[in-house]
Amino acid sequence: MNRRTFLIGAAAAVACGRAARLNVFNWSDYVSPDTIPNFEREFGIRVRYGTYESVPEMLAKVMSGNSGWDVIFPSAEYIQPMRDMGLLARLRHDWLPNLSMLDRQFQKPPWDPGLDWSVPYMHGATGIVYQKSLGWTPRAWSDLWDARLAGKLTMLDDPPEVFAACLKTLGYSLNSADPGELKAAQQRAIAQKPLVRAYLNAEVRDQLVAGDVSAAQAWAVTAAQAIAAAPEKLAFAFPSEGFPRYADNVAILRESSRQEAAHHFIAYLLRPQVAAAIVETTHTAACNGAAQAFLPEALRSDPVLYPPADILARGEWFAPQSAAGQRLRDRLWTEIKT
Amino acid sequence: MNKGAKRGLAVYAVFVYAFLHVPLLILAVFSFNSSRFSVWQGFSLQWYRAVAADPNLIEASLNSLLIAIAATVAATILGTLAAYGLWKRSSAWLSGSMYLSLVTPEIVTGVSLLALFQWIFRFAHLRLGMHTVILAHVGFSLAYVVVVVLARLRGFDRTLEEAALDLGATEFGAFWRVTLPYLAPAIAAAAMLAFTVSIDDYVITSLVAGVDSQTLPMVIYAMARRGVNPALNAVSTLVVFGLGMLIMLSERFRKA
Amino acid sequence: MRLRNAFLAPTAILMAVTMLAPLAIIVVYSLLTRGAYGGVELPWTLENFTRLWDPVYGVIFVRSFWIAAVSTALCLILGFPLAMFIARSGPRKNLYLSLVILPFWTSFLIRTYAWMFLLRDTGIVNSALQGLGIIREPLALLYNDGVVILGLVYGFLPFMVLPLYATLERLDPSLLEAAADLGARPRDTLVRVTLPLCAPGIRAGAILVFVPCLGTYLTSDLLGGSKTVLIGNLVQNQFTASRDWPFGAALSLALMAIAMILLFAARRRGEELL
Repeated sequence: MNRRTFLIGAAAAVACGRAARLNVFNWSDYVSPDTIPNFEREFGIRVRYGTYESVPEMLAKVMSGNSGWDVIFPSAEYIQPMRDMGLLARLRHDWLPNLSMLDRQFQKPPWDPGLDWSVPYMHGATGIVYQKSLGWTPRAWSDLWDARLAGKLTMLDDPPEVFAACLKTLGYSLNSADPGELKAAQQRAIAQKPLVRAYLNAEVRDQLVAGDVSAAQAWAVTAAQAIAAAPEKLAFAFPSEGFPRYADNVAILRESSRQEAAHHFIAYLLRPQVAAAIVETTHTAACNGAAQAFLPEALRSDPVLYPPADILARGEWFAPQSAAGQRLRDRLWTEIKT
Repeated sequence: MNKGAKRGLAVYAVFVYAFLHVPLLILAVFSFNSSRFSVWQGFSLQWYRAVAADPNLIEASLNSLLIAIAATVAATILGTLAAYGLWKRSSAWLSGSMYLSLVTPEIVTGVSLLALFQWIFRFAHLRLGMHTVILAHVGFSLAYVVVVVLARLRGFDRTLEEAALDLGATEFGAFWRVTLPYLAPAIAAAAMLAFTVSIDDYVITSLVAGVDSQTLPMVIYAMARRGVNPALNAVSTLVVFGLGMLIMLSERFRKA
Repeated sequence: MRLRNAFLAPTAILMAVTMLAPLAIIVVYSLLTRGAYGGVELPWTLENFTRLWDPVYGVIFVRSFWIAAVSTALCLILGFPLAMFIARSGPRKNLYLSLVILPFWTSFLIRTYAWMFLLRDTGIVNSALQGLGIIREPLALLYNDGVVILGLVYGFLPFMVLPLYATLERLDPSLLEAAADLGARPRDTLVRVTLPLCAPGIRAGAILVFVPCLGTYLTSDLLGGSKTVLIGNLVQNQFTASRDWPFGAALSLALMAIAMILLFAARRRGEELL
């Protein structure tokens, strides 16, 4: 950067003056408060930590290849697309000696079997949160079509999630790109709409705690937070037809000129104690199996975050959609909402 | 206006003010709630402590203020001059582009500006940062300033300026001494609007911001993904309280 | 005239950079093919525009314009007397004006969550009504078109009040007194003197409310519970979840064209553009 760019504005000068050594772009609330300071102290690397709201937002910025970020946290279904676009750097396993800390199911994840481009970070599932006072227990997605829930039911405001629930009630894969199956799923969603109070994401948490909502399609993270606040009132079900699973991964951008520092950072995140501290603050499920040993009992045995293997086996990972499949889904979704 | 109508107007105004301020009150109250959820549990200062302990939140707030102030000053000055220029003689393409900038959905402005910046940066050794955010903010708040100032100029008597010119004032002197004082209330209103659209912008900012220029709305939207945290209420309360005090003080000074 | 050109130059340059160049990019985008994961690719195509001829999008456009129009009208009804009150309040007017804008220096999201807290089933409004024995079951105040309009009116009220204030402020009270002395009733004064004199302010306010209302997407997501889409949501989705930038570009060009036509149509013969 030459001198003149410093003078583009007083503001820019102030911002540029603080030289950052590693730029980490992550979801909000995805590390513990001392994760970054401890790393800075130990490695003498200064970290600039930025947050994004959605992967498309992050993608729009890093797509040009000169965004300035080094380490990012894409969802599983974006790993292959980002690799195809040439955005990711190949990981050097000799700099990541502790990859073996990962839980066995994440040693060879379907989206990146060799862990060549990404390291699984946190994972979760989508299921149903419900009020125990309901008098009956929703166990399957199809229970969310029950007229008793009218006006007290919320679904996620996320097309892949709603399609997943509808497709699962019909016995199809949640990644279906088949027009017939998707049309049938759309009909299910339209049939359900009169019962739906709203399509909400994280905002549903407070309404579950307050009792405004009786049953909700929710991410496990949101559910765990709500249940922790009102354990006597709320419970979670992993739908019997199967459910979506998601994982966020840490990866390094190819544009990064600080590959070694970035690898240090990932290796640091892989340390069981570090991962356990993050789980304790964020109440998510770490892909780091060795971290389990450092978790308090209540968290380790949390049935929402760490369900038994036979339940998890019913889960299905989201996969990237083809352009045509995406377009059809978008069109059908618009019709659901009109 | 007679007394009755005046009182009616005042009562009406009180209702509208209540409408505007009730949500503000709610969020201030919840910034003192001891629960993480919007269910009242008891008084606590924990969220203010959480703000004080979060360097990202503080830095983002400062970035937001800095950007909003810089963008407001630039947009108000340029917009006022432009409104005056347009009032002297209209320019179809310039007024047209003002309209267009209001009509363009934010995401479209953001994505296209990002594309433009990234294209330029291929040739210049520049990165996204505070400068791109401020430039974008000046761009989208300009139209607000021009519209408001021009609306007031439409009621301005051209002969007043002509009289000043006849009395020997220069063109600029007439503008400075005669027109500008008349515009003062509109300029103040326009500056407030520019500040408001700038400090609250999320969509465009998040797209053109760089590594060093995370703003408060960006932090807040990113957090909302996980369910809001009352620390955000605390930050909002602090910002409004701080700026409110600033306004009160400046009123005091003006009177003194 | 040289002064005028000097005054316009910086804005012209700025608009060229931040408005017209990006607009050109959008036009180019709208004529390209979507990239598989966002972005745009060759070949050139007009398909994004032909896709617009679909009744689904027509319904969404009409609904969005209707909601924006109702919100603008309500802003005027609420904002006009308030602007009048502020303009007449003498030395306190700056303070009163700041009080209008102050709530909007908090984040939109946080303000909207405050509304959700007020209006939800177990919220303050419902609890109060139940406590007073007026209703037994909570009213469904959230997640309908009415509350979306409420959110828009709340969010854009200052954009009506401030320009109105800027024009009403210059209104000479002696003019109104003169009208009264000549025997005009207050209502006649309002209709014959006040309203015509502040027409530019009303128009400016209406533009600043109506146009941004058209493009909003978060109010209908949060307060409307995402049960219906407005144009703003549709455009936003194309650039995020759907990753169809060319179609998003075409949609927004259509929106911009219709809004521009409306703005041109709304001005009276021989009137200036702004």
